[in-house]
Amino acid sequence: MNDTLVDYSSLAAGQSVSRQVYLLDAQTVSAYIAAVADASPIAGSEFVPPMAVAALSVRGVVNDLRIPGGTLHLGQEIEFVDAVRVGETITCAAELSQNSLRGGSRILVVDLSVTAEDGKTVMTGKSTISVPV
Amino acid sequence: MGITAPVAAGDALASVQQLITQEAVSAYAKASGDFNPIHIDAEFAAGSHFGRRIAHGMMIAATVSELMAGAFGLDWARSGKLKLRFRAPVFPGDQIETRGTIKNVEGLEGGGRRITCTVVTVRVRQDPEEGDSEEAAITSLASVVVA
Repeated sequence: MNDTLVDYSSLAAGQSVSRQVYLLDAQTVSAYIAAVADASPIAGSEFVPPMAVAALSVRGVVNDLRIPGGTLHLGQEIEFVDAVRVGETITCAAELSQNSLRGGSRILVVDLSVTAEDGKTVMTGKSTISVPV
Repeated sequence: MGITAPVAAGDALASVQQLITQEAVSAYAKASGDFNPIHIDAEFAAGSHFGRRIAHGMMIAATVSELMAGAFGLDWARSGKLKLRFRAPVFPGDQIETRGTIKNVEGLEGGGRRITCTVVTVRVRQDPEEGDSEEAAITSLASVVVA
């Protein structure tokens, strides 16, 4: 959370809104697994629970867009393309695809893309959020 | 890790149950880097239209991924598609349950099958006098390609 104000009305579709690099080391992955109590066979294996990758891609949007308190996450689409191994570094990028006013709230739709160290896409997605105006 | 049993439309997947605590929500804020005060600041949340702190949507959505990974293993991480809607907040102290049912199984050209599932995450309200009731917190459609 960041107190610096962003003029969301000035954001245009096609605009890059976030780019962050994250190291998915064992400590980071373990903290995620513990927080969500993931008991699936992927958790604790050599691979990262795929939703941890999605969570980090959303984190970039939350932080770089300085999303204010009271923002609601309305919907989320995710496509996992490949598994990520613990210890890998990923790059999460986000681009605004829609910006509109609806019912007293600003609706932002953000396209997400996550690439691995070799440049291959491991996840794509789309977040729909409602920012208070 | 992978699918180990035949699947057909109508089959139920193993469900995921969790008690959502404020400690877990705070731990998720640290793990995910999402420190929106609606999740962690009681005073701020009291002034919101929810009236109290709520869990992160993506934290609750993790149970959808857990369910799919439990059923389909690494195939989920390599080919999973998920479309979900957050329909109602989940509050610390809530018991949730995520349930999935296979909607259809489609043979793919070149081999393999795409399995599509409907998944719903509900808040379970336990009332000793009026009985248990449920409210959908997340509804989703999830699909995965398996051999």
